[in-house]
Amino acid sequence: MPVILEAHDLVKRYPLRAGSVEALRGVSLSVAEGEFLAIMGSSGSGKTTMLHLLGGLDRPSSGEVIIDGVNISRLDDEHATLTRREKTGFVFQFFNLIPLLNVAENVALPFLIAGDALADHRDRVDELLELVGLADKAGLRPDQLSAGEQQRVALARALAPSPAILLADEPTGNLDYTTGSEILDLLWDSCDRLGQTIVLVTHDARAAAYADRVLVVRDGEILEAIELGRRSDHEARPLILRLGSLGL
Amino acid sequence: MRLGALAWRGLAARPLRTALTVAGVALGVAVIAAALIAGQAATEAVRRAAQELYGSAQLRVRAFSADGFTPRTVTALRQVPGVLNAAAVAEERGRSLTTAPGPNEKVFTLLVIGVDPAEEEAIRTYELVAGHFLDPSDPAGVLVNAGWAADNDLTLGDELHFNTVDSPKSHIVGFLGDSGFGALGAGSVLVADRSFLADVLEAPVRYVDLQVADGREADVQAALDASMTEPFVVETLGDAEQQLGRAQAGFSGLAFLFGLVALVVGAFLVANTLAMTVAERTREIGLLRAAGTTSRQVLGLFLRQGAVLAATGGLLGVAVGLVLANVMIAFLESTRALLIGGPPFSPGALALAFGLGALVTLAGAAVPALAAARLSPLDALRPSRQPGRTLGGRLPWLAGLAILAVAIGVVLYPLQRGQASLGGALLAVGVLLAGAVLVTLLLQPLAGLVGRPFARFFGAQGYLGRANLGRDPVRTGLTVGALVIGLAAVVSLGIVSGSARQTAAVWVDSILPGGHAIRLGTADDIENVRPTMAGIPGLKRASAVAEFPAVEVVGNTRREANVAGINPTAFQDSGSLLVEGGVRRDAFEALRRGGAVLIPRATADRDGIALGDTIQLALPGADPQPFRVAGIVSYSLPTRTADGALLISLADARERFGVTQASLWTLEPDGSLPDAAFDAGVQRVATTLSAQALTARDLSSELSRSLDRLIGLFDVLALLAVVIGGLGIVNTLAVGVIERAREIAILRSHGMTIGQVQAMVVAEAGIIGAVGGVAAVGIGALVAWVTVTVAAPGDFAAGLAIPWALLAAVVLLGIGVASLAGIYPARAAAATSITESLKHFE
Repeated sequence: MPVILEAHDLVKRYPLRAGSVEALRGVSLSVAEGEFLAIMGSSGSGKTTMLHLLGGLDRPSSGEVIIDGVNISRLDDEHATLTRREKTGFVFQFFNLIPLLNVAENVALPFLIAGDALADHRDRVDELLELVGLADKAGLRPDQLSAGEQQRVALARALAPSPAILLADEPTGNLDYTTGSEILDLLWDSCDRLGQTIVLVTHDARAAAYADRVLVVRDGEILEAIELGRRSDHEARPLILRLGSLGL
Repeated sequence: MRLGALAWRGLAARPLRTALTVAGVALGVAVIAAALIAGQAATEAVRRAAQELYGSAQLRVRAFSADGFTPRTVTALRQVPGVLNAAAVAEERGRSLTTAPGPNEKVFTLLVIGVDPAEEEAIRTYELVAGHFLDPSDPAGVLVNAGWAADNDLTLGDELHFNTVDSPKSHIVGFLGDSGFGALGAGSVLVADRSFLADVLEAPVRYVDLQVADGREADVQAALDASMTEPFVVETLGDAEQQLGRAQAGFSGLAFLFGLVALVVGAFLVANTLAMTVAERTREIGLLRAAGTTSRQVLGLFLRQGAVLAATGGLLGVAVGLVLANVMIAFLESTRALLIGGPPFSPGALALAFGLGALVTLAGAAVPALAAARLSPLDALRPSRQPGRTLGGRLPWLAGLAILAVAIGVVLYPLQRGQASLGGALLAVGVLLAGAVLVTLLLQPLAGLVGRPFARFFGAQGYLGRANLGRDPVRTGLTVGALVIGLAAVVSLGIVSGSARQTAAVWVDSILPGGHAIRLGTADDIENVRPTMAGIPGLKRASAVAEFPAVEVVGNTRREANVAGINPTAFQDSGSLLVEGGVRRDAFEALRRGGAVLIPRATADRDGIALGDTIQLALPGADPQPFRVAGIVSYSLPTRTADGALLISLADARERFGVTQASLWTLEPDGSLPDAAFDAGVQRVATTLSAQALTARDLSSELSRSLDRLIGLFDVLALLAVVIGGLGIVNTLAVGVIERAREIAILRSHGMTIGQVQAMVVAEAGIIGAVGGVAAVGIGALVAWVTVTVAAPGDFAAGLAIPWALLAAVVLLGIGVASLAGIYPARAAAATSITESLKHFE
């Protein structure tokens, strides 16, 4: 499969009062089209920083990120934003829906931002609401939904523009076990059935077990790449054993 | 550290918000301080001007007849027992003078005053800017106002020629300051030796000022009643103050009310700021309460913040107010729109402004402080709590704030001259504030409607901007309400001034048939002057208006009445005089038949005179003549007193009162010449007669100019309130951006560009401005309607004039000010770091 996301020698330094701290220390990786990649690590390991750089939300101190052939690290903010709008979709831990918009409008947000009207993309929105099982709640406001439903709306929103890559940051971190599993099933389904490329950041081995490949991050570096392959049972035991062998 | 330190830290934690709020309070206090000082300066100027005009005299004996006092009467007045000094003053209005003949000759129309130098020095002190006082050995020497001379490039020694047959010349020997006689006629005044004036023109002695020995005033008055053979009126210093103050009676009150309005806007800002702080610190308050802080302590924390804002803003406001007051006074002095001057510093006014600022600010602070004190610890700590979203609970407080402002107005409204209508003015302010409170209630539907074009224009950003307004209705409501107050004041001022202009134009048009007139310096025989008037090219008709003083006899009492004999046909044919009571044609027909009178509306209302009534008019000492009221007119010819003239026919004036002289002639063109050519002909004849040419157009524009100067000043005060409202928008939007940092980060992560984020915030600001502007148009129009039809209907008889362009401009101003205020928050929103904002969770 062709490579859709590449990172070369990514370094991210944060300035401190005296000196600086390196959150990422020369990370390189590539993600194939249609691949489900999980990035694992403990708190402060640099995994969220890596996701932000890969999605073009932040700029690396050095190194480069290439999304679908576009070197986003060399673009100015305006062009980086437009690239992000066109090629990426984000799901966050705290759902982050816009409380002023209803469910359908939240899903259509990327289109609205692009200057289109909801009516122009009604079919796509309906299709996504059908996919996440919220077709009957299109007119509700976010505060009228459960946490799991809100995250499903966030997922539909991320998928709306058919992004080259979907980046998810701890999407189940704020959900109970059952609801979290439903979200992970939806992510895997969009990858397996629709061919959506996914990069998932998590500290939860059970979530990471949905991925084809797991990168283990520690102290700003990739410690290990674990190949799991595409599996419909999402069995976490092999991954947990492997992590155990790494002392994690 | 003590618990109270949290109050200071709370303010220090948000320096921009605190600074903006302090600036808002300061501007409010500044406007009210400036208004109070300027009001005092105007009152003081009137008092001083009256004193300067009277000098050491206690009584002014004014001739009742237009012919003035005879020399024998003047002499008799000097000899009344108890009179120490008597200064006779001759006066002629509208006298035409020129500079030395030549290519640069200038023509002036001046108020000419004749005095006896020796007696004057005993009674009045003249403030001379340059030169010297009148010298009996140089009778042609005259004094003029220094400012007027400077405006006309005149210097000491320059010649001024009287525009009479021999063209006698005088020369300037001294410059008067803006005091005493120098302040009369807005500076267009000339003071000459009476003996010199008697040689060059007929300037009758209008009044004699008497300096009376201590305690002899009553004796002198009794002696005057017993001995005077000519009709007279006795006036005192108090009468002079009242007469001078009448023209500017509304100024102090209006200025004070504008200050109050600005202060209330500042209080809205304080209430809003502290409400935001409470909302922001709800969880912290919950923690404090859980740890044992009493609700009284929490109340104290927020009231302390209010006190700091009040004290800082008040002190700053007092300083800015001093500067503003000086600018206002200097402006009013320079335009001569008002008698003003004197103390640019008034500790009492500053203390009052500071106190009012503190009171209103603390009242504004009490609203959120009590809300904070009432928070239950459990409620405050609940993660899903969304504070400050109910408007209903805040509404009584807002209404209370408005009522407090009106109450302050009731207590402190300046009523020293008893002219301004307290009820009407406060009703107007009450409507303004009630309207602002109502807008906070109707914000959502208004924003939905007004914001629609923004949503269309800005797309998703406009849609989100509009939706953001509903996020915290109280906060946005207060913000819009504050803006509305200032903008509505601009609208109401515009409508009121437009209506006043319209009334002035209608008034002038209705009293000048043909739109042209000539006013002679003194009344002259009608039949002697008529041939000269008839020589004006393009003239259809010249009609004499014979004005004369009379008395109206009601039962056993006699009161002063000003009567004018007019040509009924000239006024009827040209459509002049607006007859309200009675049929117009019948009214003029009755005048022509004789024994009929037209009464001005104001006089009819005041004296309870109705159509068909009979009134008795008499010359002093003569038998009264009955006149039937044939009509009530909206406006009449102006008189020395505020009442307009009672109108009878010229034939009645001649036959019943023996009046054969007139000083005013109305002139109707026959339309054969262009306006400019007719004007030139009128001007030529006026110059020949040494008289003043008048046109309705010039009179209207002169009245409008005077009005515009005052209204312009109040517009500035109202715009300061708009600026305070703008500060509130900066505050509200800046807090909104901070609160929504995470949401903005989400929008950015989904591809919203920096420009789009900025557009979203500016659109939100623009909608606030548009809502404020639209609401202000409605409320301002209502305030103007209240002012025009309820508070002071007599001053606006021509009804409401709606300046549509101004209304559109106010909406645009609202959008402009708000959009400008949105720039800083928009930049702050654009600077939001996506990754940083995503890190912080609720």
